[in-house]
Amino acid sequence: MTDSAAASIAPATAASAPAQASAPQTPKIAVRGLDFYYHGFHALKGISLDIPTRQVTAIIGPSGCGKSTLLRVLNRIYAIYPKLEATGEVLLDGENILDPRYSLNRLRSKVGMVFQKPVPFPMSIYDNIAYGIRHHEKLGRAAMDARVERALRQAALWDEVKDKLKQNALGLSGGQQQRLCIARAIALKPEVLLLDEPTSALDPIATGRIEQLIEELKRDYTIVIVTHNMQQAARCSDHTAFMYLGELVEFDRTETIFTKPARQQTEDYITGRFG
Amino acid sequence: MSTPHDHILKSYDTELARLTGEIVRMGELAVNQLEAAIDVLMRRDSKAAQRVIDNDEAIDALEHEVSHDVVRLLALRQPMARDLREILAALRIASAIERIGDYAANVAKRSMALNVVAPVAPAHGLPVLAGLAAELVREVLAAYRDRDAERARVAWSRDAELDAMYTGLFRELLTYMMEDPRSITPCTHLLFMAKNIERIGDHATNIAENVWYVVHGEELAGTRQKRDLTASPQLPDLPR
Repeated sequence: MTDSAAASIAPATAASAPAQASAPQTPKIAVRGLDFYYHGFHALKGISLDIPTRQVTAIIGPSGCGKSTLLRVLNRIYAIYPKLEATGEVLLDGENILDPRYSLNRLRSKVGMVFQKPVPFPMSIYDNIAYGIRHHEKLGRAAMDARVERALRQAALWDEVKDKLKQNALGLSGGQQQRLCIARAIALKPEVLLLDEPTSALDPIATGRIEQLIEELKRDYTIVIVTHNMQQAARCSDHTAFMYLGELVEFDRTETIFTKPARQQTEDYITGRFG
Repeated sequence: MSTPHDHILKSYDTELARLTGEIVRMGELAVNQLEAAIDVLMRRDSKAAQRVIDNDEAIDALEHEVSHDVVRLLALRQPMARDLREILAALRIASAIERIGDYAANVAKRSMALNVVAPVAPAHGLPVLAGLAAELVREVLAAYRDRDAERARVAWSRDAELDAMYTGLFRELLTYMMEDPRSITPCTHLLFMAKNIERIGDHATNIAENVWYVVHGEELAGTRQKRDLTASPQLPDLPR
């Protein structure tokens, strides 16, 4: 398939307008002309995409393509390092989170993040969840218990830990630790969940559980997942963005990306012809 | 192997169940088409025959849906082992059912040609033949729905009955044509109809073989008894 042939099949997709891809409803996050530099390196180049509300958006691409950088910009994690600069707009519910006036505290309460390696705090399972909540809210004992239980239930971990909430979280298995981190993130009632390679350290069963969890969580949260594993993107996302060398090459429904991508570069990557 | 457990990813099960549902629905439509075709033949109703022909589109549309879902499942789920066989079999079964629908529509189409000439007696053999074919298709569909390999195997072995019945009808039609050349046109149509129905039986056996393959992961072993002898150079007991 040539680029021009692809474009004639799907003229409305990214082939004809790579800088701008649209989703059907009002996006939860709208990225507009985003450029990102660190120490002079141009890591993200003119990224524009709409992340749909309460759906799963996957970002795929070879190492160094900028996918993790993009995810980190979405909650301004870069702000803690000097010499990093983002230009353009990232609109969360229409408000530009790159604007310094948008408080980091407010952003953190709306956008939760889970990393590749599960990092439970060295404290009890219960306190892992309660710790973050205490930072933002003052809750009584019963209300806190309820919040902790709700978060653990939503993360599909409650049944496995309900009898050992006082035990140290480091005693959990890798898959359980990762679900604990997800529980910790959703305990703060965020609206967006960013997942950076959430299963790359897990075995296939634990991975399956996390993927099933992602599917359940999208009822309540907008989820963005960065993954090296394109099969994972295929299995559990609604939309997929393919990035290469800091650019967004194609963004479309996951089914379209994996059965009839518009761009040759995307096809080459997902069929294992380069990358 | 017994019935597999659910997938950890529940939506995978939902999509596989949807595929089965589409195929069962497609199969029911095809059997209904066959029965309707025989009904319009016996009632000599050309208007109703046209409706049967038009209805074939619904089966074709379902086949497209199945193909689409199969491509989607292959691309997004990376099926392995039994799942892979399920999906491969679904594609093949859908194609067999689509052919069954085409044969049924062709029976309806030929019935319209028969309606412009006087009725011929051997037409009465067709409902029995079609009845058995419909029964076999229903059996293999039920076997597919329940992933019941043994039920599929039994239906598979019964295709010989259909072949034997077809061979009998073939002889009967030849006799009529020899006795009265004016019956050659209607009898030729009836012969093609009978052949269509016999082919429907062959597709039922294909479906049965796919059910066996899904469940056991191997081909249905042993040779099936063939009783359609009409293609042999020497048809025994043929009037000369």
